[in-house]
Amino acid sequence: MKSRYITFALIIIILLMPLLFPSSESRLETWSKALLCPVCQGETIYDSPSEYADDMRSILEKQIDDGLTDSEINEFWVNRYGERIITNPITNNLEILLLPLSIVLIFISIFIRKLYVKK
Amino acid sequence: MIYNTGIIFSWISFSLLIILFFNKKNLYTEILVRVNLFIQVLLFCLLEVGLFLNDFSLSYIANFSAKSTPPLYKFASLWGSLDGSILLWNLCLSLFMYFYLKFYKDPSSNIDVKIFTLIMIFFVGYTVFSSSPFAGCIELATVGCSSSTILPFADLVTSNIGRGPNPLLQNHPLMAIHPPMLYIGYVGMTMPFVAATSRLYSKKEDSNSWIEVAEKTTYIPWLFLTIGITLGAAWSYEVLGWGGYWAWDPVENVSFIPWLLATAFLHSSKIQKTQNTLLNWNYILVGLMFLSTIFGTFITRSGVLISVHAFSNGNIGTYLLFGMLLFGLIFIVIGSRNIEYFSKSKKIDNWFGKSGFFVYNNIFLFSSALVVFIGTIFPLIYETLYSRQITVGRAYYDILVGPLLLILLGLMIFSVKLSIRNLNIRKWLNEYIILLNTALIVTIFSLFLLNNSYSLIITVSFSFILIFITVNNLYKNFRVPKGNSSYWTGQIAHLGIGIFALGIILNVSQSYSTEKELSSFEEFNFNNETYFVYDAIEESLPEKNVIKLPISDTEHTKYTSLNIFKNSSQQAISSPAVFRSIINDIYITVKFIDEDSYKLIVRNNYGVLIMWIGLLITSLSFLPRLRKNEV
Repeated sequence: MKSRYITFALIIIILLMPLLFPSSESRLETWSKALLCPVCQGETIYDSPSEYADDMRSILEKQIDDGLTDSEINEFWVNRYGERIITNPITNNLEILLLPLSIVLIFISIFIRKLYVKK
Repeated sequence: MIYNTGIIFSWISFSLLIILFFNKKNLYTEILVRVNLFIQVLLFCLLEVGLFLNDFSLSYIANFSAKSTPPLYKFASLWGSLDGSILLWNLCLSLFMYFYLKFYKDPSSNIDVKIFTLIMIFFVGYTVFSSSPFAGCIELATVGCSSSTILPFADLVTSNIGRGPNPLLQNHPLMAIHPPMLYIGYVGMTMPFVAATSRLYSKKEDSNSWIEVAEKTTYIPWLFLTIGITLGAAWSYEVLGWGGYWAWDPVENVSFIPWLLATAFLHSSKIQKTQNTLLNWNYILVGLMFLSTIFGTFITRSGVLISVHAFSNGNIGTYLLFGMLLFGLIFIVIGSRNIEYFSKSKKIDNWFGKSGFFVYNNIFLFSSALVVFIGTIFPLIYETLYSRQITVGRAYYDILVGPLLLILLGLMIFSVKLSIRNLNIRKWLNEYIILLNTALIVTIFSLFLLNNSYSLIITVSFSFILIFITVNNLYKNFRVPKGNSSYWTGQIAHLGIGIFALGIILNVSQSYSTEKELSSFEEFNFNNETYFVYDAIEESLPEKNVIKLPISDTEHTKYTSLNIFKNSSQQAISSPAVFRSIINDIYITVKFIDEDSYKLIVRNNYGVLIMWIGLLITSLSFLPRLRKNEV
């Protein structure tokens, strides 16, 4: 029986770990993972070794050093290259989350209700 | 010579398939299927001979091979572009047709051969009517061929160099294995489709014979798909020099969708076999598995999407859409004829018993497939609706697919011992408490060394619990002949996935990179290790110029290189120098070289080897099936 309390304690410790030792991803990293390199095939500027991505990264670095807000940075890149440049569509298009989520939910409810629950 | 023979034999193959479709005698079926296989092998060899003889009167060879291409990549050029890869597709299909006839044929009816033949006619028809790899060149471009004919006996023109394959495809030997593996997996999904539709068509619905055949014939393509996807990821990591292995690229997605569906089916078919439930659902899965492969080919080969893999466009788009409609219709018609049979499907009794867990598994796997599918086609829908382009990138999949796969990982923990009755969590805890606590303690210790986040801690805990419980179970019970080989197949696959999950979460959460500017004979420090950079060596090969830069740590010397292909104006391909260890790889690529100063990207990639080991174990899950000669 006691070992179950140990399990409980261990789980609590594990859940506290991220608070005690937080990870740090810089804003530059987050943003360079979110921007598409327009001359490469489907790579972000974080992944791409091309010089074009290099130039974009240095602009980005300057923007972050200048303390621009996320929406300002977003606006700058979208104005320049169109929405395509943002690989994280969730920031701009919430419907992309709603569509799959609603389909998945509908699917799950049909699946459970109609097909497999005993009346 | 090769041009005429190839085209004529494609025609012969097509006509034989038509005869096979209308034929009623078993003897002729046996003969025709073998002859068809023989012709497909012949066509394959013929194109290979053409490639090795540099027969540039063939448009395909002139455009996708070159005199200077090294032999291995000449061999692989056969599937380097659309027309040739359909030839490989046909070869796989005829192999599977032979295989199916030999082991899984319904002895009482001929309808399975007919459906199989119809699918085969569809794909061979493409090479006969639309675009053939044996098409002869009638008009030259500056390099390669600009116009071709698929009619035999035309006067051909020959160029003398050939354009050569896409540089990406001639940079690593894995390119010779990865596509055929994927193709075998992809094309193999035809077998369960044929098994299900044909057996239900002949309406012997009293038995579950179709599900047994469908399950057995799904495992083989599933295995090859797993291996194929793994090799593709490994190739991407070794060749492209971007330090990654999976980009949620449309082509990767469409290989992942059938894999998810097949994995779901491999689970739910078990439930049907033992408890006669989920009948209708299994039928739907089998159909979607097959249709998703055609859809995948459509997405990637029709040029509707931009992707690293979309190297070939053709008029195949509408042809494949037509195919999807045709086979979808067959599938629906046969399904609707069996409504009565499907309604006999039993309801689920125990939501926390075996059947319940398998239903959850199916819900989450299918949802993942759906999410990936929506993500893949969303840019298309969006562009049609708003005439603006958007990109669906990693964040979408991370947010939506990540949690689903994490839940699946958690469910796998319970797979070791499931009974038909509901799970008693108290009993379960009593049995596994020591393993559980050990796993959690190991988790805590490893978390001290890592950059923590919630996705990390949950994945690491689940993985360790899964690995501990599964290994313990394997160690204790594997030798006891339990007479259930598919149970052990599952356990080994789960163990592999557990290890893989550990690797992938380490990789995603811990890796970092930096850039270094150096000159020759300088050293730099990275991750507590000193690396020494030598002088660059230039090498000129017939097909490419290579600039190699030797880099050494205390023990080894490795080369990172820039490959500049002579047949391509694309940017140089940068191949990495990888210093491997179990936990992390130091992955160095050269960004550019200027006289003797170099700009290097140095990455510390965690968990990559762990991922490959995990996927290797999953691929070895076929071993228990050999034990009882149960393929």
